[in-house]
Amino acid sequence: MNENSKAIETVPELLVHALELEHESAERYRQLAETMSVHHNVEVADLFTRLADMSDAHASEVTARAEGMMLPQIAPWDFKWSCPGSPESNCLDDHNVSYLMTPMQVLELALHNETRGRDFYAHVASSSPSPAVRAIAGEMAEEEGEHVDILKDWIAKESHSSTPAQEDLDPPNMPE
Amino acid sequence: MQHASSIEMNAVPETITTPSLRAKDYKSAISPVWCPGCGHFAVLSAVTKALAYLKLAKEEVALISGIGCSSRLPAYIEGYGFHGVHGRALALASGLKAARPDLTVLVAGGDGDGFSIGGNHFLHACRRNMDLTYIVMDNEVYGMTKGQASPTTQPDWAKSKLTPRGTGIRRFQPPAIALAAGASFIARGFSGDPSGLTKLLVDAIQHPGFSFLHVLSPCQTFRPEQKDWKHLVHPCRLGGPTDNPVEAARRIQADDGMALGLLYAQSLPVWQPLNRTSATIDEIELEFRI
Repeated sequence: MNENSKAIETVPELLVHALELEHESAERYRQLAETMSVHHNVEVADLFTRLADMSDAHASEVTARAEGMMLPQIAPWDFKWSCPGSPESNCLDDHNVSYLMTPMQVLELALHNETRGRDFYAHVASSSPSPAVRAIAGEMAEEEGEHVDILKDWIAKESHSSTPAQEDLDPPNMPE
Repeated sequence: MQHASSIEMNAVPETITTPSLRAKDYKSAISPVWCPGCGHFAVLSAVTKALAYLKLAKEEVALISGIGCSSRLPAYIEGYGFHGVHGRALALASGLKAARPDLTVLVAGGDGDGFSIGGNHFLHACRRNMDLTYIVMDNEVYGMTKGQASPTTQPDWAKSKLTPRGTGIRRFQPPAIALAAGASFIARGFSGDPSGLTKLLVDAIQHPGFSFLHVLSPCQTFRPEQKDWKHLVHPCRLGGPTDNPVEAARRIQADDGMALGLLYAQSLPVWQPLNRTSATIDEIELEFRI
């Protein structure tokens, strides 16, 4: 699907990717939070809101780093992702996103997304022809790696007190 | 009535400058009520990104729909919108475009709304070739009414109480029928490929004439097996887009229904109303005077 295999060559280009990644992630988490609210899954909605806030905070950090730079405009389909969309928000359907989601499933989803983010930066750090891009991407991969570790710890703690999956009392398909 | 003769195909700007609005600025304050994980979220996102890329002012855009889950789209977009009557989105949109040709008119709906009750309008919208962009979010089921077979459902799908042995009816083939009816732009996107979908949408909006964008958009509530679509979709294997309807017909007939991309684009006369009043109100009233 996405055939952009070119390497990221400049620091401003990298920062545009980083901003897009965090904005998309925040937007998707916020959308899921709103939808979970609509479906009265309050605990999970709150957790998605926290994740959205974290993505917003990361976006602010990238914005600060980009201060004073002229950032290029990139068409939505010209981003050099390694998957069909932004790595921290695309392919969410790989997981069991449903209105009955538990907090543990949300954390597993977040772990999946952060891992993809880390892998994206690690790929840039190893493939860019620019030493400056490789250095910054390496830092970002490290930061994302820390987020991965935080989520793993969080999941380990939650696993002792996690909410059990809810039974769907009105399942969608009931063929006779 | 007259036809526009000068048509320029797909003039995508080469240089991208700072957009005045970002994609999120086109989203309304209303939260979608779609099921979490629904493919339609990606379509909403693609629409907002396409509008931002094309730098269309909110007041220059109208989104018209019929009835169904996907037809809720106008509520979630900041711009003119009309959540219309079941199956009649294209009729409404055609009237709007005739009256306000300056507007960019998008039409959204699902496979039930567009190909069953709205099937007749679909045929004639294709052949009329007004400058509309028709986005059909196809999940092969009536989701809003809790999971009945639609025109694009497989004949042996037996998960509905209404059709416990399946419908036994061959499926409606949207791109083939659009081509046969005279559509001048036919493409297929997938909600799991948001970047590709946005590009197709931009191309569809920029195409002068009727653009049909068939979007595979899984319903994970009533058709959970559609999660596998991400493993089944593929770029169109039979070469790039063609403007030859015979070649397009051959390709579309050979298609497995999962080929993504621009399948056909042809420069055809665009239907436009005459830009003058044909009768005054008094003259029209005279016709009805007894």
